[in-house]
Amino acid sequence: MKKYWRVVKNQWDEIFTYRLNFIMWRVRNVLQLLGGYFLWLAILTQDGQVLGYSSSVLLSYIFGVYILQSFIFATRTQTIGVEITQGDLVNYLIRPVNYFSFYVARDLGDKFMNFFFSIGEFLLFYILLQPPLFLQNDIRYLILFLLSIILASILYFLFSVLLSFIGFWSQDIWAPRFIFSIVIGFFAGGFFPLDMLPKYLFAIFQAMPFQYLLYFPMKIYLGQLSFGDIGLGFLLCVFWIGVFSFITKIIWERGLRVYSAYGR
Amino acid sequence: MKRYFILWWLFGIKSAKIAFQSRFGAGLLILGKILRFSLFLFFILLIASNTKTIVGYSLWQVVLFFATFNVVDILAQIFLREVYHFRKYVVSGDFDYFLAKPLSPLFRSLMGGSDILDLPMLALAGLLLFIAASQIGNITLINSLIYILLIVNSLVIALSFHIFVLAICVMTTEIDNMLWAYRDLTQLGKMPIDIFREPLRGFLTFVLPVGITMTYPAKALMGLLSFSSMSIAFGISTVFLLVSVWSWQYALRRYSSASS
Repeated sequence: MKKYWRVVKNQWDEIFTYRLNFIMWRVRNVLQLLGGYFLWLAILTQDGQVLGYSSSVLLSYIFGVYILQSFIFATRTQTIGVEITQGDLVNYLIRPVNYFSFYVARDLGDKFMNFFFSIGEFLLFYILLQPPLFLQNDIRYLILFLLSIILASILYFLFSVLLSFIGFWSQDIWAPRFIFSIVIGFFAGGFFPLDMLPKYLFAIFQAMPFQYLLYFPMKIYLGQLSFGDIGLGFLLCVFWIGVFSFITKIIWERGLRVYSAYGR
Repeated sequence: MKRYFILWWLFGIKSAKIAFQSRFGAGLLILGKILRFSLFLFFILLIASNTKTIVGYSLWQVVLFFATFNVVDILAQIFLREVYHFRKYVVSGDFDYFLAKPLSPLFRSLMGGSDILDLPMLALAGLLLFIAASQIGNITLINSLIYILLIVNSLVIALSFHIFVLAICVMTTEIDNMLWAYRDLTQLGKMPIDIFREPLRGFLTFVLPVGITMTYPAKALMGLLSFSSMSIAFGISTVFLLVSVWSWQYALRRYSSASS
């Protein structure tokens, strides 16, 4: 456990080594928040409602998604693909560490760093602009919300690791990830709440696992789901985690069979 | 000038060959770009289905802003893609070779590799622009000419930003997120800059001129831009270009070739 804690601390040191780069990373996040906030505000100011959402609920959704993305989507697992294609994976296979635990530790370091700064940026934003926000005060919803964030982080970790495993068979590791990054934001509810979509489209989105990354946790936070729906959502999310864990295990084993440490 | 055009062409062919080394990867990247474009267009349509106007602009006017954003953004990507590779040249010491050759190192660093994969996107953005302009109607020849001039002006501002980023890279070797911050900044221009409230709107128009770069050309096409605003736009781009070239020269004087 101690060695993985060291990995978390190393991750923080690595981030702060390139300070200008880190500052620009935070600037990027603030710009994205600014863009989303003012766009929705412009749409909302006309009659205070849009597609069934009031100002405070919709803006809470936008801010909530901003903070959730900083935690759930923060990952270093994209480098797994680089390590496979450049042959560096062997360095890890011969070390007395579990490769996946190592990456879980790196991800945790990245997630908490991102989360910490996102909260700071959000508070600054809130003090300056004072947007109307919905604050959930039902402890049951808050606990379920936290649980859904943990499940979403596991699901996203599996997606990202699976994408990196493409490196076992192809040098084209960035193009699939590029498409994934575009699709995931939209299908997870990063652009807008998915129930704004026409019913038939919403039904299709609900059948996919992506909604559990952002939309489902935010709906729990907003208290817009019954406890029955939340329970069913958790069951389905755990089901998807099981499915993708199984696929990840199979592909990892098959990948290692064809891996030749090419590039070393 | 002719020599530089030939070199740019040769660099472009080299980049195209690299991009199509893996046709599967190139195909996926083009597909991703089309997806990104389509999803945002879908988002605009979804919003427009509920509200008739956004900050006073009709659906087709908003689409025109989006199409113009894409035209400027894609043209900048096509011509200035090499900037994304600049850090590795500085870190590895390969930038020394740029300096030793009888060719402007600035030209080599900016235009040493065009992104051919953006060409289909340019066609798509052009088509959307044409459809939106047709739907809006009342577009005059004079306004179209001013539009083209302002697009060129926007590219000068984009060029200045990229030169500035190169200068910072020479001095700090840290530009990856700075380039992406620039991209995120320009993304604010997907919609008319009028969605932002003062003083942020003024800041994003004149200090970090996203408004001039992305919103002004579309406004001019619709005949909504005053002569004084156009003059300010050309003035700001000139200042940006001069300052960026000066910063590049300043950075070069401090280049220590530490990695070579």
